[in-house]
Amino acid sequence: MAQAALPKSSLTVTSAPFWHCGRTLKGMMTDTLIALTPAMAMAVYQYGYHAVEVLAWAGLAAVLAEALAQKIMAREYTADDYTALVGGLLFAFMLPATTPGWLVCIGSALTILLGRMVFGGYGMSPVCAPAVGWCVMTISWPDLIDINGMLLNWDLVHPLSELKYFGLEAVAGLSLPSLMLGQNLGALGAEQSLMLLLGGAYLIARKQLRWYIPVSFLLGVFLTAQLYHLIDPQRYAPPLFHLFTGGTMLAAFFLMPYPSASPVWRTAMLLYGLFGGAVLIIIRTYGIYPDGMAFAVLLANMFTPLFDLIQPKPFGGR
Amino acid sequence: MASMMQEFTKGLWKELPPFRLVLGLCPVLAVTNSANNGLGMGLAVIFVLTLSNVIISLVRHIIPKKVRIACFIAIAASLVVSVEMLMQAFSYPLYQQLGIFVPLIVVNCLILGRAEAFAAKNPPLLALADGLGMGIGFTLSLTFLGGLRELFGVGTLFGASMFGPDFKPFAFMVQAPGAFVCLGLILAGMNFLTMWQAKRKGQTVDPILDAGCKGCSACRKLDEIANQKKLEKLQPAKG
Repeated sequence: MAQAALPKSSLTVTSAPFWHCGRTLKGMMTDTLIALTPAMAMAVYQYGYHAVEVLAWAGLAAVLAEALAQKIMAREYTADDYTALVGGLLFAFMLPATTPGWLVCIGSALTILLGRMVFGGYGMSPVCAPAVGWCVMTISWPDLIDINGMLLNWDLVHPLSELKYFGLEAVAGLSLPSLMLGQNLGALGAEQSLMLLLGGAYLIARKQLRWYIPVSFLLGVFLTAQLYHLIDPQRYAPPLFHLFTGGTMLAAFFLMPYPSASPVWRTAMLLYGLFGGAVLIIIRTYGIYPDGMAFAVLLANMFTPLFDLIQPKPFGGR
Repeated sequence: MASMMQEFTKGLWKELPPFRLVLGLCPVLAVTNSANNGLGMGLAVIFVLTLSNVIISLVRHIIPKKVRIACFIAIAASLVVSVEMLMQAFSYPLYQQLGIFVPLIVVNCLILGRAEAFAAKNPPLLALADGLGMGIGFTLSLTFLGGLRELFGVGTLFGASMFGPDFKPFAFMVQAPGAFVCLGLILAGMNFLTMWQAKRKGQTVDPILDAGCKGCSACRKLDEIANQKKLEKLQPAKG
């Protein structure tokens, strides 16, 4: 009873830590946003107003969904720390630029709600939230999210669909620079391979991202594609084609290293990346979707607890 | 009579089979892609569950303890076969829809669970009330889940269009992943509701410790732990 009588402000007792290195979630997300900017700029340059619309709806719906969920769950508001914004934008990066607004909103909200908030929030979900959103949307409305079908007005081709339905000859004419600069049809952000590579390099340089997962993922993609290419060069695309089409770069730098859904120790991260890359190529080769990048990411996420069993030996441990 | 009423009503909310006991999930996930399927499956389960409960309760003193599970399954299996034949005779389209899941009622945890936990220990009338209550609870849950998934996944309810022709169905809901996500959300909702009600009454509720499944030994163990904790909390206050 005596405690209640004391004024609250004079005796504030907090627990450790008292000393911070200054790194915050908001800072991390600001860097991620900066890393996404070149790809966004390229997308806007290529698709104009449509890309702006999709990106804006996705970001808005994600932030609102997170704020709403935190209100219902009686949690502290963290919707302004950019995690939801980045989640929504990453989801939008996997859509064609002419996706209807309502689909973008539903998908972006589900990205946050089903991919993140049902598990307790950012940093607690065992799966990569944007990949969850994309998978739910693809299963529900495959025709409205199909890249070839939605971008009929553009006089270009979607490399992976061409490869899937018309064989290797159909994509043999596409040059590597055009693939890297996203001068083909594709998901609005995921197709900007070179820009995403630059963004990823920026994240690694800023030490917001360790290189193990991206590099091992790209290596996994390269090696598996090379293996298929060696088996039958007439049927399977060369590895560089797979590296710079579809969502490979987006998955490598932004989806696979999703915090809380990827392993933490070096060896485990390397194996996780290799596994994800191999699964991506296997899905692209045998799956019914031209680019099953999100499925590959989710499958790799499911294996994270297994990879996490690989742990460093503690100093002095036996 | 009062206890019969109690045994009957517990299946409707307090021990609602799929959402509280989390029993019999195979049909809950597999056949609930429309409200009709859920209702049909539920009716089949009511029939089998009630009769198997009564029969097992009648013969509970005859069955040797060691082979009781085999006996329960034999009784349930004969009932399921008769249900299957009745369905083939009177509602063939539903039978085709439900397919393998009608024969699979035999191994439904709910049937075996109620036989083991209740019917084998109680007189026939109580077993009847229990089976009927559990069956109706199961049917309501299945119809609710089926209706929910049909409403969003196809845009209809019991086959009647609800949202008009412009509605673009959310096909995720009627597919397999939708079943898991829906069930998970409903379970979370049930726990939330329980805790909210308890909060209004000024109590605290542990969703695991207070789950209404006293039948199985795992939960009895949890009960003991919970009681012990309560005692430990009380003792210092006394001292």
